[in-house]
Amino acid sequence: MINIDIKKPLFGVEGVMNLDINIDINKNEFIIISGNSGSGKTTLLRCLSGLEECSGKIKVNNILWQDETNKIKVQKRDIGFVFQSDALFMNMNVLNNLLYVNNDKNLALRLLDMTNMNSFQKTMPSNLSGGQKQRVSICRALMKKPNILLLDEPFSALDNDIKSKLYTELLQIHNEFNLTTIMVSHDLNEIYTLASRHIKLYNGIIIKDENLAELLNNIKSDDQILLDAKILKIINKNNQEYAIVNINNKFINIKIKNKKYKLGENLKIISDELFI
Amino acid sequence: MIELITNLDFTPFLLSFKLASITTIILFVLCLPLAWYLANTKSKLKPYIETITALPLVLPPSVLGFYILISLSSNSPFGSYLDEVFDIQLAFTFNGLVIASIFYSLPFMVQPLQNGFESLNKNMIESSYIAGKSVLTTIFKVALPNIKPALLTALVITFAHTIGEFGVVLMVGGSIEGQTKVASIAIYELSEGMDYTNAHIYSAFMLIISFIVLLSVYMFNAKEKQKLAGLK
Amino acid sequence: MFKLFILILISFKLSASTITVALASNITYAIPELKKEFNKIYPNINIRTIISGSGKLTAQIKHNAPYDIFMSANMKYPENLYKSKYAISKPKIYAKGKLALLSFKQYDFIDIKKLLLSKKIKKIAIANPTLAPYGKASIEFLQNIKLYDNIKNKIIYAQSISQTLLYSLNATDIGIVALSSLKSDKLKDYKINKNFVEINPKYYTAISQGIVLLKRAKNNKDANSFYEFILSKKAKKIFKNYGYDI
Repeated sequence: MINIDIKKPLFGVEGVMNLDINIDINKNEFIIISGNSGSGKTTLLRCLSGLEECSGKIKVNNILWQDETNKIKVQKRDIGFVFQSDALFMNMNVLNNLLYVNNDKNLALRLLDMTNMNSFQKTMPSNLSGGQKQRVSICRALMKKPNILLLDEPFSALDNDIKSKLYTELLQIHNEFNLTTIMVSHDLNEIYTLASRHIKLYNGIIIKDENLAELLNNIKSDDQILLDAKILKIINKNNQEYAIVNINNKFINIKIKNKKYKLGENLKIISDELFI
Repeated sequence: MIELITNLDFTPFLLSFKLASITTIILFVLCLPLAWYLANTKSKLKPYIETITALPLVLPPSVLGFYILISLSSNSPFGSYLDEVFDIQLAFTFNGLVIASIFYSLPFMVQPLQNGFESLNKNMIESSYIAGKSVLTTIFKVALPNIKPALLTALVITFAHTIGEFGVVLMVGGSIEGQTKVASIAIYELSEGMDYTNAHIYSAFMLIISFIVLLSVYMFNAKEKQKLAGLK
Repeated sequence: MFKLFILILISFKLSASTITVALASNITYAIPELKKEFNKIYPNINIRTIISGSGKLTAQIKHNAPYDIFMSANMKYPENLYKSKYAISKPKIYAKGKLALLSFKQYDFIDIKKLLLSKKIKKIAIANPTLAPYGKASIEFLQNIKLYDNIKNKIIYAQSISQTLLYSLNATDIGIVALSSLKSDKLKDYKINKNFVEINPKYYTAISQGIVLLKRAKNNKDANSFYEFILSKKAKKIFKNYGYDI
């Protein structure tokens, strides 16, 4: 159980805002924090981990991490942190990056296995791709066997195909290690794929706090689906006009019935039947 | 020719070498925490401290030497305290030269280290703290290994700068054979006394040694850059 | 505006001629009075002085430095210049330098040997004998009073007689300096037998200081005038007042 009640002035482009967060986090929750740039998401994570100063109280499992008089330093907090990028120790190979945190070789190999990075043990970080680096970062964060895992937009710089693989690996780790995970992201996919709870910040305060498990259980099936499409080309075949249309990067040839359409026009296409 | 070289008195060179080595080691120990502090602090004092550490770069060596002489001589409050209580004299001694060299070469150790630390990725350093490691461990196991070129530059430039020290030693040294008559002073006196032959030999020797040392540093730096970039 | 500029230029040409004299640093104190006396006789001759160590000046002259006359702290350098034809007159002695023991602290100078041997004196400043004629004489003095071997570990070497003065006044317990420096205004508070004492000339070879006319001064009447003046009775009187032997 994490109790956060903190305040901190934030200096943004538009002047000073106040980060003011009062929230309770339960064990094993997978929380994604989203919000506009400068809303305080990263600052919140950094204050929780002790990398930044803030005023207020932080209590984790009945241990006081911070109050008005005391502050437990970073090194003593039970957390793992995955940064957005470039945080691996460039002077050590993959395995040593992990062993630096904790000399438990078995744990290291297990984590590398879970993230499919086993064959990269002796590789130097400069020889890894972005996705591989983030996998190693996640493994390294877990070497301390923390109860809490913090991630700051860990996948934002990666390609979509890599992302889906990493989501699976991260979820597996979250479950196997019984973690409480707090991740900053503004990718909707990530929110709905990974999170059990979604918190949205705006200018330093929480404006939305939804339990996704409930949300997903309550989604009604739409009778109709609305798709966004763009007309690429209009061709004429046997006196019938067809529009070549781009729906989600797939190209479809559709007969035009009545109206006149222009190239590049944006449409909404309604379908009332869907099959998987 | 060989005779000329074997007749050379190598004492000044050994003295220069000894002075440069001791100064470099002491400066490294002193400046490592200072450079780390400057690289990481947001204090308003930072520009003031940086100015003070950079002063020896700008002050004429003779000015620096003059002030050090005045402060260290047994006639100054500090100097007479050392003299009366500990029977230590600093002016005109090798130890006095070490102190003078520490001031003289300070910026050459601080600045490359500070620049190196500042160029490090903050997240990488923070990852070490989150892993539970102390600042000291982080400096030695993560920070320093990742700024090898800057570290080497700091050590070598400090060393080389101290070897070439002249104006300060001229003031503070007293040109005592085997104690404060370093190579730069020896060469100066040879040329002043119009013993040009030996002045040439000594100078050529210094030039060759300096060239070799600097070349090795730059070659090492190039190799390190290749390694970091990851030769597959 | 331009006319004014030309006028000024011409007036300079008409009013005075300038000669450049290279001086050993020990003459610093005597030169203002020498110039004053000289200008009483020759008001239109402007003396420009370059003051440095004799060795340095000699090296500069050998590289054709624009000096007309050289007044050295010894005879060796002028003789060298005359031999190598950089000087056009045979070196003549214009004064003989003398040594003094000087400290900014106060001591009992009655028994010099005892003083120098005592524990109170930890550092003695002397001009480097290979570079400065006064330094050579200083070592000679110490050897002749049979002190050199016992105190040589207390000696620190200054690069010039001027630096010896600097050390004696700021950093060392005592030093051997040019007696002429004691005539400087800045040292007028230093008392004889308390801060300084003249060293008996019998202990060292007289520091004969030589003057030569240089190549550049050939056919220069004004340079000749100053040269003759330095060797004149009037100048000798001034040198005597400034602690030189003649």
